[in-house]
Amino acid sequence: MRAYLLRRAGISLLTLIIASIVVFLGVRAVPGSPATALTGNTNFSPAALAAINRAYGLDNPLPVQYVDWVGQVVTGHLGSSPVTGMPVTTELGNAFPITFELTVLSMVIALLLGIPTGILAAIRRGRSADYASNAAALFGLSIPSFWFGIMLILLLAVVLKWLPASGFVSFSVNPGQNLAHIIMPAFVLGTGVAAVLMRQTRSGMLETLRQDYVRTARAKGLSEWVVILKHSLRNSLVTVATVIGLQFGILLSGVAVTEEVFGLPGIGQLTINAVFQRDYPTIQAVALLTAVIVIVINLVMDFVYMILSPKVRLAGEPG
Amino acid sequence: MSIATMPGTEPTVVLTQPSRQGWWRRFRRRPPAVIGLAGVVIVVLVAVFAPFLAHYSPVVSQFGHVLEGPFSPGHILGTDELGRDELSRLIYGSQATLEVGVLATLLAMAVAIPIGIAAGYYRGAMDMIAMRITDVVLAFPFLLIAVGLAAIFGPSLQNVIVALGIAQLPGSVRIARAEAMALREQDFVQAAIVTGVKDRVILFRHLFPNMLSPLLVQASVSIPAAILGSALLSYLGLGVQPPTPSWGNMLASAQTYLYNDPWIAIFPGVAIFLTTLSFNLLGDGLRDLFDPSMR
Repeated sequence: MRAYLLRRAGISLLTLIIASIVVFLGVRAVPGSPATALTGNTNFSPAALAAINRAYGLDNPLPVQYVDWVGQVVTGHLGSSPVTGMPVTTELGNAFPITFELTVLSMVIALLLGIPTGILAAIRRGRSADYASNAAALFGLSIPSFWFGIMLILLLAVVLKWLPASGFVSFSVNPGQNLAHIIMPAFVLGTGVAAVLMRQTRSGMLETLRQDYVRTARAKGLSEWVVILKHSLRNSLVTVATVIGLQFGILLSGVAVTEEVFGLPGIGQLTINAVFQRDYPTIQAVALLTAVIVIVINLVMDFVYMILSPKVRLAGEPG
Repeated sequence: MSIATMPGTEPTVVLTQPSRQGWWRRFRRRPPAVIGLAGVVIVVLVAVFAPFLAHYSPVVSQFGHVLEGPFSPGHILGTDELGRDELSRLIYGSQATLEVGVLATLLAMAVAIPIGIAAGYYRGAMDMIAMRITDVVLAFPFLLIAVGLAAIFGPSLQNVIVALGIAQLPGSVRIARAEAMALREQDFVQAAIVTGVKDRVILFRHLFPNMLSPLLVQASVSIPAAILGSALLSYLGLGVQPPTPSWGNMLASAQTYLYNDPWIAIFPGVAIFLTTLSFNLLGDGLRDLFDPSMR
């Protein structure tokens, strides 16, 4: 088991290194010189260009530049935005808590909606509850999240005036207002992920409910709830955990557009503004941060997978 | 039958041949799948015959008819903020939507299938490389891939297709790889290997044709995902550039007028929703057909 953990961690580290090389080369593939990309200026005298190249170490060979860059990133130096003049770390620090709150809240909504309906659909297979859950999941999979957001704004903010249409208030300033601003976007994102979780939970449950050990548990006279929750659900969650990890990257794309729809100044909005302002240091930092988050979450999900699955736990190697 | 004659007569071919007619009969018995297929056919026809169906130009402004409501004379779905007929823009908008959905999926398949088959068949170093590629792609949400391409090449429809195609690589590689691994252990492939059939022949004649149904199912879920992705990107201004209509960029400009003229934000969303729903219904139907255990 320990060997497996180390192997997984090693693979994640390798993935991270390749991803960082992709990010590093990406900024150097931008049209014009990297000096343009990093400072936002286009008109340099040859002397000024040489000075900037020296200052940023751009006259070194690429592998040297890469190692220097990694050294800076690890010590928290991500450069400054040529647009705002602020250090990228400050910008990320301001935006990150908003995106974090939105992501966590939408995951909570997704789990609360997706897993119980998945269980319900599986144990009531072929009956009205199953059809209703499936229809709801299909709806969640097919609806564009940003349009769903716009429609909710139309209903809850424009027509009913229950919730604010856009903007953000920090939790420390006003917890009630904070919730009022974040609940609609979190619901929009959460329902999309819930649809995937519901389908995964349902098919996982249908699979495990057929297994011999579930029949044995029933034959032992265990109550139906113990059989469903302890024997069947626990094993179904093994695949659900993997899906949550894979969904996370997709969720982050949805987060960006949802922030744009609801006017939340999070990482997503920061990225989109950065693209249109050609703010490459910010794009580079966001790309790297996202890759780190996705890789770490998938590694954690692998460990969760191992804890949940007795097959993997005992054999030390996934099937 | 001697082993030497087996590679030419794969048992799977014998099995699928008589059931080909039953395929359609079984598909027909699933109303949701049939509705999905009908929806897909309708969208394709609308996109192909857009110039004949639309009464107005999708791009020419008519400032005398700005933001007319639905059912106004001559404009059954009203007009947008530049006086362009909403229905005509929806009809033309289907072209970019379908183009991205289908081309992104084809691109992903064209790259993923050879990688996946080679990884699953040869295992070892080939497999390791293929898996690391998919890990790295998975580490970047498709929005970031699109952002990167837009930053380097400028926003365009081609970049959206490439970004969404790259984003779909991991799923398709995994399916082709899993199928190749499973097929490799089958008797007819093992027989081909021991009789010295060339690898190229095994990969293209024995492995590829036998993994078409799971790949078809994968395509039917990839297309709606790519459609949603392209709508999202053009909403953000990274995709189809105005004045060319796409359902995503129609929504982006409509959000400004949400308070007084909400209908122009409703119709493009309904169009995206119904299209992805049709593909998803069709995809579910195909999966039930090919893989009954998933039901």
